[in-house]
Amino acid sequence: MRKVYIVVVLLGLVAIVGNHLISPSSGRAMSPEDFAGACAPCGAPCPSKK
Amino acid sequence: MSTAALSTPDTRAGVSVDRLFLGLALIATAILLALVLLDGQPASAALIVGGFGLGIAFLKAEFSYTASWRRFLTRGEAGGLLGGLIVIAICALAVVPVAALRQNFGGAIAPLGPSLLIGAFTFGIGMQLANGCGSGTLYTVGGGSGRMLIALLFFVIGSVFGSLSLPSFLALGGIDPILASDYLGPWGGLAATLASIAVAAALIVAVAKRRGANYMPSRNYIIGGIAIGLLCVEVFAAGGHPWSVTYGYTIWGAKIFSALGYDFSHANFWQWPGNKQALTSSVLSDTSSLTDFGMLFGAMAAAAATKPFAATAWPPLKSLLAAGVGGLLMGWGARLGFGCNIGAFVGGVASGSLHGWVWFAAALPGCLIGIRLRPLFGLSRD
Repeated sequence: MRKVYIVVVLLGLVAIVGNHLISPSSGRAMSPEDFAGACAPCGAPCPSKK
Repeated sequence: MSTAALSTPDTRAGVSVDRLFLGLALIATAILLALVLLDGQPASAALIVGGFGLGIAFLKAEFSYTASWRRFLTRGEAGGLLGGLIVIAICALAVVPVAALRQNFGGAIAPLGPSLLIGAFTFGIGMQLANGCGSGTLYTVGGGSGRMLIALLFFVIGSVFGSLSLPSFLALGGIDPILASDYLGPWGGLAATLASIAVAAALIVAVAKRRGANYMPSRNYIIGGIAIGLLCVEVFAAGGHPWSVTYGYTIWGAKIFSALGYDFSHANFWQWPGNKQALTSSVLSDTSSLTDFGMLFGAMAAAAATKPFAATAWPPLKSLLAAGVGGLLMGWGARLGFGCNIGAFVGGVASGSLHGWVWFAAALPGCLIGIRLRPLFGLSRD
């Protein structure tokens, strides 16, 4: 199990760093609920807005 | 230092330090901190540090929502549930008034409707099969459980399926979020929120007394509950919203699916502005992912600091199957239910949002079903 963990942690870390380096940064960390019209943590719209 | 020395746990005075995994956890955390600080984002660093603290607190206190809820449902024991309410009460003291009074801060809100009920119920089934909820999966994976690695993998996959299903379930209808502070103001909303927690605690104690079961939280749950509650406040202060776990899983899964060639441009969920941006932005721009990474590595550091890391054998295949099925159900349920026991229940109730209690009421019967299914996978009902 230790070997599996080493592989998973290293692959995960490479994926995180790689994604960060090739993707644009939005500046301040955000959540979908920061956007206008969001009615839930995932950014779903309010039922009354449909 | 040789590789052999690094891979051998260092045992002194009865404490076994696994230097390899302790080092790995600390180095990984340092790399993530360096990346966000290089971008000039101290708040992101604070989220990682908050998550790291949460990982340590959960692991050291062995704070388990899943086991607490199961003990309550099967034996009537209420201590664990009350420990969870301590977390919410502490968090509410900051979230309700600050979210109502300060710009750039907000509570965890969500619409009430079939999607919430179905999602929470499904999540309840999944958490008992996987033997871990949103936070539980994170800290047990970080703590070295190979079984929960499987649960996390399927949690991530399930949450992507959930993101594709959510718009259809939202179309079934619902009503806008009901927030106590919208009706009673910041302080009246806080009073109502604390009163609702007190009523829930009284009901839980009454059930425990009626069943002749223990209702006092253990020392671990009291200290752990206070520590986790304070860390929730820190995460809220840094991120502007209550702590959430499972949205990060959805982003990780969607990024992996995208890398494998899946096109999300036709998926309604991924056209909502926040999700569209999150899919293309750095994973370190997502508040939920930042605390998740911190929590994973915090739990790993805490586990490796005291014992050989991940030294147990893999569990039986049926147990791994339960972890996979449970993870899948939790992932799907978390998206439909607007979060897990942290994002929806803890965050929702601590924000004074009615959906938090509705989520709890729908997840409990799901847990009952999950407990009944556990023996099919060779797991005990206790």
